[in-house]
Amino acid sequence: MSLIEVNQLEFSYTTDVPTLRGFDLHIEAGSVVGLLGRNGAGKTTLLRALMGLMRPGKGTVKLFGADPVKEPIAVKQRIGYVSEDQILPEAWSLRQIVAMHREVFPNWDVEFAEELMVRFQIPGNKRVQEMSKGQARQVALLCAVAHRPELLILDEPGSGVDPVMRRELLETAIELLADSGSTILFSSHHVGDVERLANRIVVMDYGQVVLDAELDDLKEGYCVVTAPQDDEAARRLRGTPGFLSLRVKNNLLRAVFAASPEDLAGKLAGIPGAGASRVALEDLFIDLVGGAI
Amino acid sequence: MHIQIQPSDELPIYKQIVRQVREGIASERISPGEKLPSHRELAQRLVIAPLTVKKAYDQLELDGAIETRRGQGTFVTAAPPVASLEDRRERLRTAVRRLLTDAWASGMSLEELLGLLTEEHAITHAERQSNSTEKESL
Repeated sequence: MSLIEVNQLEFSYTTDVPTLRGFDLHIEAGSVVGLLGRNGAGKTTLLRALMGLMRPGKGTVKLFGADPVKEPIAVKQRIGYVSEDQILPEAWSLRQIVAMHREVFPNWDVEFAEELMVRFQIPGNKRVQEMSKGQARQVALLCAVAHRPELLILDEPGSGVDPVMRRELLETAIELLADSGSTILFSSHHVGDVERLANRIVVMDYGQVVLDAELDDLKEGYCVVTAPQDDEAARRLRGTPGFLSLRVKNNLLRAVFAASPEDLAGKLAGIPGAGASRVALEDLFIDLVGGAI
Repeated sequence: MHIQIQPSDELPIYKQIVRQVREGIASERISPGEKLPSHRELAQRLVIAPLTVKKAYDQLELDGAIETRRGQGTFVTAAPPVASLEDRRERLRTAVRRLLTDAWASGMSLEELLGLLTEEHAITHAERQSNSTEKESL
């Protein structure tokens, strides 16, 4: 049994445009999965479905083998969750918030919570309404990790906070990994952060998985082929083994392949001006979801 | 020892660590018996997942370059085993291909490239000599 099992999940906010379209995702305990996708790809919707915050239209969602909508408390006690727009009670102080979470979570680690308060340098009597956006995010993260959850779900933890704070958020997640071996699923637009933390990358686009691979395999076993724009060349690229996606940019065909440049060496001979090269994850991501022909 | 990683590099992070430790041993910047940072320390220092450090150390241990002593930590092995010539050739092949491509691209002949290699070999050899003298004088 995987820790997260999402099968054929469908969900629509409106009647005409589905946000998730037959989404499948299985995550094993101990992995760190980075979720990449453009705004509107369905990342937040997926993470909210995992938290049991919405009922799937079709398909199933299971965490630790349980349905998060039917068994919210049993599931949520084992999860830490930070959403992009965390809502903390405005008038509460940090101490009050920490005390409340300590009541709710039997596994609350007092020492870890204290250590994080010191690291984040937020005074215990500071109220939420007096905190910066970054500080509020740090408090949300503290509350999400101090009960040492088996699963940590982070929705854009770095958005809208400065690089120093983003790095601290990353370091906190790494500490949790080192001490508790937790499973982490996080969405981010910061590809560099994803490369530091994740061992597996899931790229989603229009409510579906377009790429799901180990990061190390992605670096060595994927490439982008470019060739001058031409219908016959496009047809041949689509027919070449390993083909994933194709788009046109600046009169160049740009095709993503699940194959290394060495694998493709002999197979591109018939396509005039075609060349394969390894690219950084960020460039691979842009070619994958940056609009197709 | 000083390890640096570049997350966006085309080489996986664990391989960047493996390469630097190997180079450190080969250039004698890391001595046999030297203790390496724990998974946790190195993960925190480099701001990467602890499992990535584990993957790198597992590879190095498999190569015989480092060993884990229960309860004590990870150490550079006393006498790093010599890999077979075939292994060493394979390990260098990618780097050599890249070097040749660069040489051709800049219009350098094989003789000129060999000349450059000999020159650099002399320089690095001299540096290593002076490094080890420094170590002794310490």
